[in-house]
Amino acid sequence: MPVWLLMPSLAFVAAFFVAPVAALLLGAFRLDGVWGFGHFSAFFAEPLNREVYWRTVRLAGLATLAAACIGYPAALAIVRLPARWRGLVTALVILPLMVSPIARTYAWIVLLGRNGLVNSLLVSSGSVQEPVPLLYTEAAVWLGLLQLMLPLMLVSLVSALENLPADVEHAARSLGATPLQAFFKVTLPLTQEGLVLGGTLVFTGCVTAYITPALLGGAKVLMLETLLYQKVNSGGDLPAASVIAVLLLLTTVAVNQLLRRASAARRTRLAPSGAVPKAAT
Amino acid sequence: MSYLRIAGLGVAYAKPRKGAAGNAVDALSLAVPQGQLVSLLGPSGCGKTTTMRAIAGLLAPAAGRIELAGQDITHLPAHKRDIGLVFQSYALFPHLSLFDNVAFGLRLRKMDAAELTRRTLEALTSVGLADYADRLPAQLSGGQQQRVALARALVIRPRLLLLDEPLSNLDARLRVEMRAELRRLQRESGITMLYVTHDQDEALSLSDRIVVMRDGRIEQDDTPAVLYNRPATPFVATFMGFENLFERARLPLAMNLPPAVTHVAWRAQAVAVQAPGHKGLQGTVQSRSYAGDRLEFWVQTAAGALRGVAPADAAPWGEGDAVSLAIDIGRAALIGDDRTIPST
Amino acid sequence: MTGGSRPGWFCAAALALALIFLVGPFFVVFIAGFSGEETLVFPPRSLSWRWMAHIFTVESFAASLRTSLVVAVVSTVAALLLGVPAAYVLVRRNFAGKELVRTLLTLPIIVPGIIVGLALLNYMVLVYDMPVTASLLVGHTAMLLPYTVRVVSGSLNNLRLDIEDAAVTLGATRLRAFWLVVVPNIRGGLISAAVLAFITSFNQVPVSLFLTGPGISTLPIEMLAYMETNYDPSIAALSTLMVLFTIIVVAGMERFFGFTRHV
Repeated sequence: MPVWLLMPSLAFVAAFFVAPVAALLLGAFRLDGVWGFGHFSAFFAEPLNREVYWRTVRLAGLATLAAACIGYPAALAIVRLPARWRGLVTALVILPLMVSPIARTYAWIVLLGRNGLVNSLLVSSGSVQEPVPLLYTEAAVWLGLLQLMLPLMLVSLVSALENLPADVEHAARSLGATPLQAFFKVTLPLTQEGLVLGGTLVFTGCVTAYITPALLGGAKVLMLETLLYQKVNSGGDLPAASVIAVLLLLTTVAVNQLLRRASAARRTRLAPSGAVPKAAT
Repeated sequence: MSYLRIAGLGVAYAKPRKGAAGNAVDALSLAVPQGQLVSLLGPSGCGKTTTMRAIAGLLAPAAGRIELAGQDITHLPAHKRDIGLVFQSYALFPHLSLFDNVAFGLRLRKMDAAELTRRTLEALTSVGLADYADRLPAQLSGGQQQRVALARALVIRPRLLLLDEPLSNLDARLRVEMRAELRRLQRESGITMLYVTHDQDEALSLSDRIVVMRDGRIEQDDTPAVLYNRPATPFVATFMGFENLFERARLPLAMNLPPAVTHVAWRAQAVAVQAPGHKGLQGTVQSRSYAGDRLEFWVQTAAGALRGVAPADAAPWGEGDAVSLAIDIGRAALIGDDRTIPST
Repeated sequence: MTGGSRPGWFCAAALALALIFLVGPFFVVFIAGFSGEETLVFPPRSLSWRWMAHIFTVESFAASLRTSLVVAVVSTVAALLLGVPAAYVLVRRNFAGKELVRTLLTLPIIVPGIIVGLALLNYMVLVYDMPVTASLLVGHTAMLLPYTVRVVSGSLNNLRLDIEDAAVTLGATRLRAFWLVVVPNIRGGLISAAVLAFITSFNQVPVSLFLTGPGISTLPIEMLAYMETNYDPSIAALSTLMVLFTIIVVAGMERFFGFTRHV
């Protein structure tokens, strides 16, 4: 019976997802019928490509860092909210995830454009003579990514904080820890999984973003996905596109695995009693 | 003539378990006459629920035969077996009213509306819940849900009713009340019932016969009186509440035993705790506890630890005190390889 | 969880900043949508309905809206038809390779949409001559499948197994038991899965990028195209409508079906 019920979905995924995607990815490794890394070396030989790759990783990392720094204290504030406000704030955090990224990112165009809010303020206050080009800069893309991904970090952290064993902080305080010590020695380590999960979601989300880099970076600040699009659309350069596809996938899978290992390694050192390390399970 | 006959039933574990070789149920055979209530009694993991689910058709046996009223139902799909099942967790349909819950099986049998209503209300009345017909299960107490589950299974007039620890989620007093209810219902309807439980008191009070199970096999299959007085194995003795169990080589007193006897057991009531110096075993009190009409003692003797009793108002001994034990040989249960051992 | 381990004001400030950051943009877009200006001047010197009215006259928006709706509905239905049985088996049965199957079915979430779109274009349309429309539907369905499987699995997990067995012992086949007893009790999860899938498909861009062309395009793609050559507040107006629509749908879902519990 399981076979009957699973066949349709498995067959569908195999035929229409796994097969085409695998074919695309494999194409990155074939040069004139020969298996090899020729496409990869060609790709990285070009300075523009290297720059785009590095920029993507860098901005994703910075956005993740900012999301964690803002997100953690914000999540702490959320879990301490009285029930009345909790529902409203949760809705405000989750709702953006349901809204089209175009609508969300468009606000930055309005704010940062030549006649946008920031420039209007700068010009009218006399700080500058001419509107400053704020769009199509790395900072703009970073802001857009941060705004897009922040809810993911918040949701992960709030969930982790809610799953803390009750009263552990109180226990630490009753044993003599200051609030700050209790936080760093008890709360933070116990919620690290939430941080890891949130960080992974944000990082991979940033690396695989299309709309935000397209709207806020344009052709001047290319990221991996906008580069991919350009390669296919204007250049018809399928091999390069395949290479980018492989890079995208590798980056997200690698980050995923790395962070999972780091979290598991630390976790085995925290036995239930919290103090005595035990052998890795 | 057996109404339910099981021969050589074998059921494999759903997932292979570390350290437990073999099957969940192995080479199990039993026969239930029509109109009787038979209990499957045993600790958790002994295979009693698995056996029940195999009879109901929710599990496929790996070996063996199941016959009901002469028909081989071993491979019959569950929904065609006409066997009712009352679940430990009641399994009431949360989205349906009590009426619709009880009428569920009747509707599937395409009974006509008037007859269906009549039978459903009759079933609800017989468990005293006709006034709650429109309520949802979530609005009822555990005991009430239990009765609805019973009504739902009985209303389809099944050939066999299986009950899987139906009272274990109820508190002690309700359990005793429901036991009497069940017995009454069974007598009145005459439906053959197979009852699964781990509680020996329940099995003793409800059953015409008890089947004690352990590790997927039957240890003893007998009437309650025989099981209570003449357990066939050390496991059954302990399970039926014999507090004192001794191997033949380490008996606390000299006895003349047939060669086939391997163990001897006494209930605590057969061991009287008396002042030190009386005839019998001498020992020291390890602990004592109050049981209302008597005091129960754990006493350490040269032959081992024994459990005994004394009247609550005549037992001044406390922990560390010396006492003597008088063991009533006449109330010993002899356990051995040969099942024809008479008691004493 | 009571406070005190960090200065309360610091966390409160962080939360305030986060909320402004998350919600502020909506207000900005809302105001821009009612701008009376010719271009994206912010703050606008006058307000007007003109751009709201204008978006209904743009042909590409109307046509692509129809396409987006059709694609969203069809792929949602397909994702449910494929995903519900799969979720049932994954939750109720144990078998060798179960985790592998689960991974396979949730793979599309990990793979960036743009890769899927490109892969389908190259290996379905170009090699197997599959029509672009079909590829678009297939691509969307593939991206939605992990969501339907996950949400429906969640609902099934919370539903006790024994009521299905009870229905069977009372005479129902497994299929009837599913229909009579399981479906009514996972209604909230099913509807939430459907709405989540619909919204995800409607807003989806990367998969559609390569699978659209003249005559067949989705609304988000057309919006991006419009922005390349027009610098008026039309998109702000359209975005405002889309946001309002999303808010109404999600709020309604939450009120009647407890949406956020399921997803």
